[in-house]
Amino acid sequence: MTTLTIAGLTKRYGPVTAVDGLGLVARPGRVTGFLGPNGAGKSTTLRMTLGLVRPDAGSATFDGVRYADLSQPTRTVGAVLDLAAPHPAMTARRHLAIAAQLGGHSAARVPHVLTAVDLMAAADRRVGTYSTGMRQRLALATALLGDPEVLVLDEPTNGLDPAGIRWLRDLVRARAAAGGTVLISSHQLSEVQQYVDDVVVVSRGRDVWSGPLTELGGAGDLEDAFLTLTGGLA
Amino acid sequence: MTSLVRAELQRFFATRIWLIALAAAVVCGFGLAGLVAVIGPENSQPPLPPLGTPEGVSVLLGLVQITLFVPATLGTFAVTSEYRHGTIGTTFLQVPQRGRVMAAKFLAHAIIGAAYGIVLALGAGLAIVLGSALGPGTLGVPAADLVSSLVRLAAAAAIHTLIGVAIGALVRNQVAGIAVTLGWFYLLEPVVMIIPGVNLVYGILPGGAAAALTRSTWLSQVIAEQTAGPTALVLAPWAGGLLLLGYAVAAAAVSVAVPLRRDLA
Repeated sequence: MTTLTIAGLTKRYGPVTAVDGLGLVARPGRVTGFLGPNGAGKSTTLRMTLGLVRPDAGSATFDGVRYADLSQPTRTVGAVLDLAAPHPAMTARRHLAIAAQLGGHSAARVPHVLTAVDLMAAADRRVGTYSTGMRQRLALATALLGDPEVLVLDEPTNGLDPAGIRWLRDLVRARAAAGGTVLISSHQLSEVQQYVDDVVVVSRGRDVWSGPLTELGGAGDLEDAFLTLTGGLA
Repeated sequence: MTSLVRAELQRFFATRIWLIALAAAVVCGFGLAGLVAVIGPENSQPPLPPLGTPEGVSVLLGLVQITLFVPATLGTFAVTSEYRHGTIGTTFLQVPQRGRVMAAKFLAHAIIGAAYGIVLALGAGLAIVLGSALGPGTLGVPAADLVSSLVRLAAAAAIHTLIGVAIGALVRNQVAGIAVTLGWFYLLEPVVMIIPGVNLVYGILPGGAAAALTRSTWLSQVIAEQTAGPTALVLAPWAGGLLLLGYAVAAAAVSVAVPLRRDLA
């Protein structure tokens, strides 16, 4: 049972403040949607959360421990990020075997996760021949290698077909039902509203609203509430 | 650390890069030295010392030593591939301690570079021995000296691989990294060798140090003398080896330290 807590996270690129004192809490047993328009700072926040980008201020911790200080980070957190790709000339099996070796996971996890994401039949094909959806499944397989309590997923439905989206929804719900913590970023409200419990809305690098999804729209239209919060609706 | 090094070696063998490296080592070692040995160095234009002399052996080793830009480029290619394809993100997610990752990469490429060097040196040695047997009938140097030179050649190849790794870690962009490595070893160093006055520093550059270490300086000395006057600095083999080791240590420091604080983008 691990809680992800982000507090006062800030990142500046020259004169541009990409993330500006952002905070959120993703709790065990809940799927937290991290929603915002393109360029709102979602990906930068997740990269800082996972130690790939250094914040100028603030912190992101898993039960009080920074990602880089976790003893076996991928046993606690599994992540899907666009910055963490497989080599196109490698087969999926090789890619996962190397990731397992790096992360200190048993080689037996490789066929397990390949089966879990329904890629076993294509396991020995070069990743360069994969469709976008297959790559997303492989990214999820990589995230699941350590059977982590926390999943951090950056736009994981990109490229997935309807069947893939349903499969992802079932996977995410199952992880949360088992007590896992899921933080999932997206700019497609209609899609994630089907499976998130809590919502953090981000706009221009700041968290502008957080709470249960049911409270976001109140009695009105959910999409209107989101667009109003993010400045997308005049 | 052992499992990280093993993972890096797995990565090397997971694509066709190892086959390309093996082919390059054979071509640059056995192929190049064999071709010159078959033609006969004395038949080249201008004529070079024949194979049955110490100078003739030095010429062949010198030609092979000039190809050390290949393992350097391989080192650069291997590291920059991680950034080009975004696999570095997967690596740093699995092991957030970047210093450990880069140290493992460095150690793995020391092994890969040494393996490249062994294939290169064995090929060159075989070509020299076969060429000497079929041509002049005598080896230009005592066998122990040849073996010693070949061991040094293999070590120089390993160190060049590590320098390539360091350039890759520093530059990150694959095209730019390879351009820097090739530009340095294939263009800049040879140009430095032939510019009067400036050629003094050639001896203390990686190429000059490698030539001193492998005792294959005859070629570079003659080139320098014919183009820039007899002023090229030639280090003793031990000094060349020590200097090259210094470059390897500097490369290790750069490889491990530089990626520590950089953001991935």
